[in-house]
Amino acid sequence: MAVIVKYLIAGLVRYWLIHLDYWQTIANRVEIATPLNSWKRLVEGVYLYDHNINPYEGDSFHESPIMLVIFHCLLKRVPYLLPLLFTVLDLLTAYLLYQTSKSFMKIFIESQKKQKNDIADESKPMLLNETQLNEATEYVLSVYLFNPYSVLNCAGMTTTVVQNLLVAASLWNASNGRGILACIFIALATHQALYPVLLIVPIAILLADVNKGCNKCSYIRTLLAFVLCWGFFIYISAYIMDGSYNYVHNTYGFILTVPDLKPNIGLFWYFFTEMFEHFRLLFVCAFQINALALYVVPLTLRFKKEPVLLATVLIALSTIFRSYPCIGDVGFYLALLPMWKHLFTFMQQKFIVGCAFIITSALGPTVWHLWIYSGSANANFFFGVTLSFATAQIFLITDLLFAYIKREFTLKHGSSRQVEGKPAKLVLR
Amino acid sequence: MAFCIIFLTLILGAFGEEFIEEIFIKPLPPTHLYSYFQFITLVDTESFVHSNLAPRSIGEVISRFQVDELHMTLTEGQWRHSQWGYPVLDAAPGAELYAWFNPEVKDIDLEWRKLSATLSGLFCASLNFIDSFNTITPQMALWPTGAVKSNLNVTTLLRYASLPREIVCTENLTPWKKLLPCESSRGFSALLNSRMIHNTNYHSIGVHVRKVCASEDCTETKLEIKQTVALVYDYKIIGSNDWSFRKLFGHGLPGACPLATSSIIHVDITSNTSYPFQLSPMPDKVVQSRRGGSDLKLAVYEIDASVEMINIGVKHSTKEKLSVIIPPPLHFNRYVLGYGKEFGGIVTELVNNYWTAIDVVVLENAPWWLPIQLSSLRINSEAESKLVKSQYYSPGRSRQKPYHLELLLKLPPRSTTTITIDFEFVFLKWQEYPPDANHGFYIGSAIIAANLPTAKNYTSLPVTGINYHSTINASQSWYPAVFRTNGAMVSLPTPDFSMPYNVICLACTVVALAFGPLHNICTKELILKPVGTPLSLTQKILNFFKRKKE
Repeated sequence: MAVIVKYLIAGLVRYWLIHLDYWQTIANRVEIATPLNSWKRLVEGVYLYDHNINPYEGDSFHESPIMLVIFHCLLKRVPYLLPLLFTVLDLLTAYLLYQTSKSFMKIFIESQKKQKNDIADESKPMLLNETQLNEATEYVLSVYLFNPYSVLNCAGMTTTVVQNLLVAASLWNASNGRGILACIFIALATHQALYPVLLIVPIAILLADVNKGCNKCSYIRTLLAFVLCWGFFIYISAYIMDGSYNYVHNTYGFILTVPDLKPNIGLFWYFFTEMFEHFRLLFVCAFQINALALYVVPLTLRFKKEPVLLATVLIALSTIFRSYPCIGDVGFYLALLPMWKHLFTFMQQKFIVGCAFIITSALGPTVWHLWIYSGSANANFFFGVTLSFATAQIFLITDLLFAYIKREFTLKHGSSRQVEGKPAKLVLR
Repeated sequence: MAFCIIFLTLILGAFGEEFIEEIFIKPLPPTHLYSYFQFITLVDTESFVHSNLAPRSIGEVISRFQVDELHMTLTEGQWRHSQWGYPVLDAAPGAELYAWFNPEVKDIDLEWRKLSATLSGLFCASLNFIDSFNTITPQMALWPTGAVKSNLNVTTLLRYASLPREIVCTENLTPWKKLLPCESSRGFSALLNSRMIHNTNYHSIGVHVRKVCASEDCTETKLEIKQTVALVYDYKIIGSNDWSFRKLFGHGLPGACPLATSSIIHVDITSNTSYPFQLSPMPDKVVQSRRGGSDLKLAVYEIDASVEMINIGVKHSTKEKLSVIIPPPLHFNRYVLGYGKEFGGIVTELVNNYWTAIDVVVLENAPWWLPIQLSSLRINSEAESKLVKSQYYSPGRSRQKPYHLELLLKLPPRSTTTITIDFEFVFLKWQEYPPDANHGFYIGSAIIAANLPTAKNYTSLPVTGINYHSTINASQSWYPAVFRTNGAMVSLPTPDFSMPYNVICLACTVVALAFGPLHNICTKELILKPVGTPLSLTQKILNFFKRKKE
């Protein structure tokens, strides 16, 4: 019953926000809408498509052709249903995340059982029990439903709502061992925004873990299915655009080369505004490698046994370092964090990070107004805020990982910090 | 002397070259005076191996880049259509260049860039800044004025660009005068004294090249090179509404150019009835012209090369009086909407005062840094207006292509039509801002092409006309006109130009903040390290800094 009330309230809040007079303001906020996901650009793209002008000829539309066709249908047939649709999609995302976290909790318990022999006696009470884990799933649901970031993202009717749904769906399918569906959804998400391509690694590991058997075969199967699906979607999109692959320049090309320097909550915009033309390509490559490739391999090797943690961290890192992040992405990975409630006691920077989130969220719109509307601040102010927001997110993620390895250590060696009776401290070596 | 001139003219006639100079002066009551100069050279040949009167540099440009028709204007100031009526040739503020190329040209865009670069050198103007990112191909608004082969698709051969930021000054006028056969030593061009003409409210110099029919059936064509100057004087600057050549140009007219076949001055004296004035010296003749429902009275002076200095002027018999300005049948206004530097809109208002509907083509040409959204196009606040008969839109691309919108509208009689379109401000790279970034960015003017049903306030030459005499009694069923609206200005948000090193360092630091711990987590493992005996305070402090270093 309580769950239904939660959904109802969250749905009503979203629906009400979309019908508010300030909706336009919400939908146009730089923190919510980026050139990639904004509702305004989607409408422009659909309008051009409807008037037989190729929306990929210009610079105003960067969604995938599949989304273009779907929203063309929706906007033509049932434009009045769209606020409801976005609300329902976001609630569905919340539901899928809830279900995903439930399956993840089962995976936690199983892996805990497996490792039981390695656990020190005095650490036995630290092991997770059913009630704790069930509580965590409830938190996942609540955080996604009531987190202002995801609420505003849905109210702004950005296409990130769809992307979150696709990622959630693929995680849910992966956690239940439905390989093909997981691959289809993650391929769709990748087709839309490219960065979810990272998730194929944790999904492959998850699928191999859930469907016991030949691990390597499973990896290959998943990768193959993913590549085939992705290729198929790319082909379908080209088919929609009359066989032309030019749309790729406006979707992946736009994401990778960062031509639009409109401010957002990420690190790219001011960096590439102020970049010397000579070094632009070098730094674009460096930043995209940082977002797309750099952390996958080391983190996979280190956290091979914890695909869920790997997925969480990769989603978070790709959100922080992607070229056009928005608070919808942040809201999504924040909703995954309550699954790691048992690590919170090991985290050291909770307070700092929390304060930083609150302060930057309040300061961002303020300095934006001062810069753009009052003319009494300049770009550096907003840049400072986005920089500290990114720093806070980085602290949160690294802290989470440190907490995990500390807990791992504690489980194995007990909570006493003593070596041969002498006081000792934990260090990395 | 007279014999010499006749002889010279005969020789030139044999070479098929002809030079005509004309001035048209029209008072724009109550406060302004419009004077329009045109210097026309007609050339038979197109090879330009040898030329007598025609400027060889222009001829070479035309033949090298295979241009069929060329229009270039350099303008300072804004023509006020609602007050001043219509000019003979309208021009956009700043520099404007458009040309039709020969159908045989393979790569028009390449030739276009070469053409603009050459003209930039020829006129000391910044036309070399014309590139694909500010060039459009108007589909409906511009049509060739010269002779073209029928069944030829001329639209694809056209390129148009305007540079609203261009500042026009003496350095453009001097090379322009050098193209004339008499340069500035004799003839009407001697009046063009840069000290005086840059002191006007509006001045525009132009070069227009087109092909005109040489015979009745138009099997042969001639090349017409027309150089124009349009000036609008303010009576306030002259000192009174009594004007004379000496007041306008600093000195009188030292006779006609001896190389010209005709040198004629037309003064519009229609306003004499409402503002009585006396011309001196008396004109050679006064011509009545009836054109499309408007009556004109033109005083005509035929100037001889041998005459002494003449100073044509006007003395008003009554003091200045105020009057109501009756606006022309079609006038327009353009402005930018919105506040802040995030979202805005451009509004173009078209007023049709006439009692029939007027068909107009409106061409909006927004630079790439002003992305307009077609979905936000509203005509009289309607999304899908019935007034739009045809529409063309070519979306822009950042740093590559401007936004180009053309609308064919039917303006209902006695109405005001408002076209609104939204745009979003673009954040440029720091090196893309012009030197004074906070000065603002100029938006080029929109082009409005109309077929006017009346010749009221209309002063342009008929399409087939060469000299100004062709306007007399030239009634047609409609009068084609191309106007430019006023430009506008927006202030784009600017970054801090002194910050590049700081920003690069700070952003990279944040990336390193993630890289460092993640590297540690992935490559190192946790161990317990014994802590020694309790330390003294100083050592603790020392250790604190040491730990930081680690």
